[in-house]
Amino acid sequence: MSGKIIAKVVDRAQAAIDPAEGIAAVSDPGFGGIDVFIGKVRDVNIGRPVTGITYDLFEPLVLNEFTRLAAEVQATFGPKLKLYVAHAKGRLGIGDVAVVVAAGSPHRDEAFRACRQLIEVVKHQCPIWKQEHYEDGDSEWSEGCSLCHVESEPAHAHGHAHDHPH
Amino acid sequence: MKQVNLQLFGAFSDLDASREIAVDVAGGTVADLRQALRELLPARWPGFRAGLLDYSAFADQQRVLRDHEALPDDGRVAILPPVSGG
Repeated sequence: MSGKIIAKVVDRAQAAIDPAEGIAAVSDPGFGGIDVFIGKVRDVNIGRPVTGITYDLFEPLVLNEFTRLAAEVQATFGPKLKLYVAHAKGRLGIGDVAVVVAAGSPHRDEAFRACRQLIEVVKHQCPIWKQEHYEDGDSEWSEGCSLCHVESEPAHAHGHAHDHPH
Repeated sequence: MKQVNLQLFGAFSDLDASREIAVDVAGGTVADLRQALRELLPARWPGFRAGLLDYSAFADQQRVLRDHEALPDDGRVAILPPVSGG
């Protein structure tokens, strides 16, 4: 039983993200706990009906950051941990899977906490951008978290350009 | 004078359909590139929310670059507005 990290970007035009793949990737005969986070596209944001989302990614850096950040999670919760992260790219419809993070470990506590830590840094520190498409035909890039000072801050904090729910 | 090929992401990708612009930079650091854009954006794209630049980071193909760091030799830099993954 040894830890591993799987990180990928999935182009929606080619395939959908399969949460079962994430579960299989972090399974191990020695593991009693697997925690999975599935992020999906919802039909409303701040009261405005949404019809879909386009995700833009800087792919080489995203993959570097997924691996680097997952290694930090492993360093926190132990080398046995197995982690999986997949993020969608391109145009997604309502209910489509945008992101899957899975963590497997001998016991549930580390699995829950590792999964939570990894999805938070994926959301706040990786070069991924969300463009929302609205019912009225309009589209807007979401306000997000600035990467300007991210490395100089404590792990739980992150710089915001603007207040936003997440 | 150095020419940077700036890869555009997120809101910046609306600036040019090719998702890349050439920027002449007077110095050799990331801060010099930021300054060049501070002048270029309002002149060439007056309708664009140029203030976004203050919240944006820069990166080469491997990692985020801080303002004091040198621009990469190959001149390829990405501009990273505030992120909104997940």
